[in-house]
Parts: sequence; C-alpha cells; structure tokens
Amino acid sequence: MDILLYVIILAIGGFLGYRRLFKPAVMNRLDTLQNLSLLLLLFIMGVNIGLDQEVIYTFGTIGFQAIVLAAFSIVFSVIGVKLVSSRIIKQK
Amino acid sequence: MTLAILATVALGIASGFFIIPQSIVPYMGTIINIGLCILLFFVGIDIGNQGDLFKKLKSMGFKILFVPIMVAVGSIVGTIIGGTLLSLPWNQAGAVGAGFGWYSLSAIELSKYSAQLGTLAFITNISREVMALMLIPVVARYIGKLESVAPGGATTMDVTLPVISKSTDGNIAVIAFITGVVLSSMVPVLVPLLMTFG
Repeated sequence: MDILLYVIILAIGGFLGYRRLFKPAVMNRLDTLQNLSLLLLLFIMGVNIGLDQEVIYTFGTIGFQAIVLAAFSIVFSVIGVKLVSSRIIKQK
Repeated sequence: MTLAILATVALGIASGFFIIPQSIVPYMGTIINIGLCILLFFVGIDIGNQGDLFKKLKSMGFKILFVPIMVAVGSIVGTIIGGTLLSLPWNQAGAVGAGFGWYSLSAIELSKYSAQLGTLAFITNISREVMALMLIPVVARYIGKLESVAPGGATTMDVTLPVISKSTDGNIAVIAFITGVVLSSMVPVLVPLLMTFG
C-alpha cells in the first residue's frame, strides 16, 4: 500500500522536525536539499509529460479543463467554509 | 522559486520529447515513487518543525478544524462537479481537486498514474494558487474574512498566507496557517485514496 508508506514517511519526518533533532545550520542545508529534490522530481515529471505525445498534442484541452477545475474547487471551498463560518467565529 | 519550477518542468518536457528514449517509460512510475518518498520525508520535517500547533489549536478551539475539513470537502466536491461537466472520471477529477493548490506534490503523485493526469493536476493546482492570490482580498471584503482562507487551500501555510494576513487579521492568519498545515498533510493521503475508487 503506497498510502500507508506515504503516511509513515510523513510521520517520521514530522517526528524528527518536531523534536528539533536538526540544528538550524543543518535545517538550512535540508531546505536546499528539499528544493533540489523537488526540482529533480519536477524535471522527471516533465520528462514523463514529454514522453507522452498525446499529452503534448492535447495541451490546450488540458489547460482549459484545468482552469474549470480550479475555479470549481475555489467556489465550492468558499461555499463550504461559508456554511460553517458563523459557528466558528463572529464576524460582521 | 515559481519561475525555477516552471523552467524545470519545461526543460523536463523538452528532454522527454526530444532526447530521452521511450524505453524508459516502464520505469517512470517507480522513479517517481522513490522521489516522492524522499520529498514527503522533507515535507514531514517542515510540518513537524512548525512547533506546537496543538497548543495553538487548543487556544483557538478545535472547532476551527472545520475550516480545513470544509475546504477539503468543497475542493473535492467542486472538482467532481466540474469534472462531470467536462466528462472526466469522477475519481480522477476529485484526486486533482485533492491537491488543494499544492501543485508540485499532487502533480508528481498523479503523474505516476498517467502523464495526462499529472499535467492536469499541475495546471489545475497552479491555477488555483494564482486565482487564490487574486481572489483572497475580494473574498475577504465581500464574502467574509474566514471564507478568504478557503481559496488558498494547502497554500495558506506559505504562499498565500501573507495575502490573507494583509486582507484580514492576526486571528484569521493563525487559522489560515493551521488550515494549510492540515490540508497539506491530507494531500499525500487523499490523492492516492481517491485514485483507488472508480
């Protein structure tokens, strides 16, 4: 199960971070390492996209779908919070 | 960083299109999965390092956890409805929505399934972040301060936090931060979970 693996890894990292087992200098280096690993992964993701001819030729369609999905996710999130907001804080 | 990210993805696409041989395709899923695990480890450290969120939560009341829950439900339901209009499979649309604006992680997770879905997750969630930056002040002014936390999704702990803080007040900024942390922790779980349905 991939999900379980992800949760365990996240939890181990969380524990190490919470316990402050890393000195600030090490944390700074970890930050750089994190950015580098993120960029490497995004490069690999890009390669995966480039290898798939169909994605390249349907880029416009995917872009349109993306904007519709983004708009729907924002509108429904706002509605969702609106439904509970009066019970969470008092606001004018 | 955003510029570096876009440039890196573009460079990857060009390499995949022109240079890297198709024979690598069967291994891409495994390569991405290993990288994802490394990235999640760092993300975990980041979240843990934020200090005693539990204490902050206790002082504000646990009812504020309804904010991330409602943002999660709204994002997933919203993308499922939008996806239905676009005739996308509901579980895939929902998984893209469960990225909550965290485009790097959700796109990488979903590119394990297909390059097409990874691309959709990347553009959708990057659009969400950009739209959120523009909409937060508008929502804060005309709909409500607490509601202005919603558009940013998982990005309310970093990228969109300054905008929320400027458009609202200190209390809302704390809620926004906690919302971002909770939603970020949910992304690695909910995205693959939704993909197991349908």
